[in-house]
Amino acid sequence: MSTQDTAAIQPKRSLLEEFMFGAKNGFYLGVEKIIPAMIIAYVLITFLKITGLMAIIGNIISPVMAIFGLPGEAIVALISAFFAKAAGAATAATLYADGTINAIQATILFPATITMGTLIGHFVRCVVTSGTNPKHHPLIIAIPIIDAVLSMFLTRMIISFMGIS
Amino acid sequence: MEFKQQTDYEHKLTWRGWLSFIFIAFSFSGVLAHAGAFSAIDFQVLIGKFGKIGADTFTGKGGVGAREGFMFGLTLMPTVMFALGLIRVVESLGALLAAERLVRPILRPLMGLPGVCGLPLVSSMTSTDVGAALTRQMYDNGQINDKERSTFVAYQYAASGVVTNTFDCGAPLLAISVLPVGIILAVEIVVKIIGANIVRFYLARQEETVSEVSVEGGKA
Repeated sequence: MSTQDTAAIQPKRSLLEEFMFGAKNGFYLGVEKIIPAMIIAYVLITFLKITGLMAIIGNIISPVMAIFGLPGEAIVALISAFFAKAAGAATAATLYADGTINAIQATILFPATITMGTLIGHFVRCVVTSGTNPKHHPLIIAIPIIDAVLSMFLTRMIISFMGIS
Repeated sequence: MEFKQQTDYEHKLTWRGWLSFIFIAFSFSGVLAHAGAFSAIDFQVLIGKFGKIGADTFTGKGGVGAREGFMFGLTLMPTVMFALGLIRVVESLGALLAAERLVRPILRPLMGLPGVCGLPLVSSMTSTDVGAALTRQMYDNGQINDKERSTFVAYQYAASGVVTNTFDCGAPLLAISVLPVGIILAVEIVVKIIGANIVRFYLARQEETVSEVSVEGGKA
């Protein structure tokens, strides 16, 4: 999402102008990516709760999520992240807001939602654009998911090492 | 030589680059959060707090659905605006070039990549597209081979644009996280490097098996 490529074309800005430009981009990103993601995440969670699907999904997956110190419901954040990073993080924040997960569990989910987020969209922008050998594609597409699993272990270890509870 | 032109963003590495790099590293790391006057450069401290209306912030308590999602989204705007403004400033001062100077010598042991990957690597921290385009160019110019490209892309693909994405997409979790954002970024970068090494060693092993098979085939 950088605007670095445009920076080369335009005349040099002062530091204040750079800051204003970046902050303005931040505002647009908020309007274009974050708020829509928050709305879909909140509506999705509300839907899953009212229908009772949340409890069902949570129960089925809870033994797996327990490995990372997370309740089963946390899988919803990871599934949303698969489609869009912002939706994954927003879903985790929603789960925190309604008390399904605590702050430590939200922290464990944080790097994972970013690492494995927007997998399909970025496959084109990153893997295809760079012209990677198609034979390596299946392996490369698995890497962000492996990374996300590792990040949950690592974050959990850091939190317990720092003695935060 | 086209590559050179593309990668130099009209910036040269000067003391400003190093200073801004050190500044941003301290600001995001959270180490100065409780360091008296020095806390004035801590990112979380500078984001500040919303005022209270009664016992709550302006989003109120007990909201649900799209309306609550919108209100929560609004509370994130100052964080994202400040973070992206700050990143933009240190980028323009050449902090990325300082980071590039630091990673260049360790790329070979870390991921088996040549030093020339340094600039695309630090560019990929703020932009998926710049990183991917530069990687393709390096392959076309013969600066990296097929396997190195796959290893490098495996690094870039996970959390692509890791710094920007952690601040904009991850904004809802910034306020909740019990760890400073610098540690979250460090975790992401560490697992990205591990992921790249999985590809690196898998492809290296694959090559070994292929050559063994061809040797056996030759004997038969």
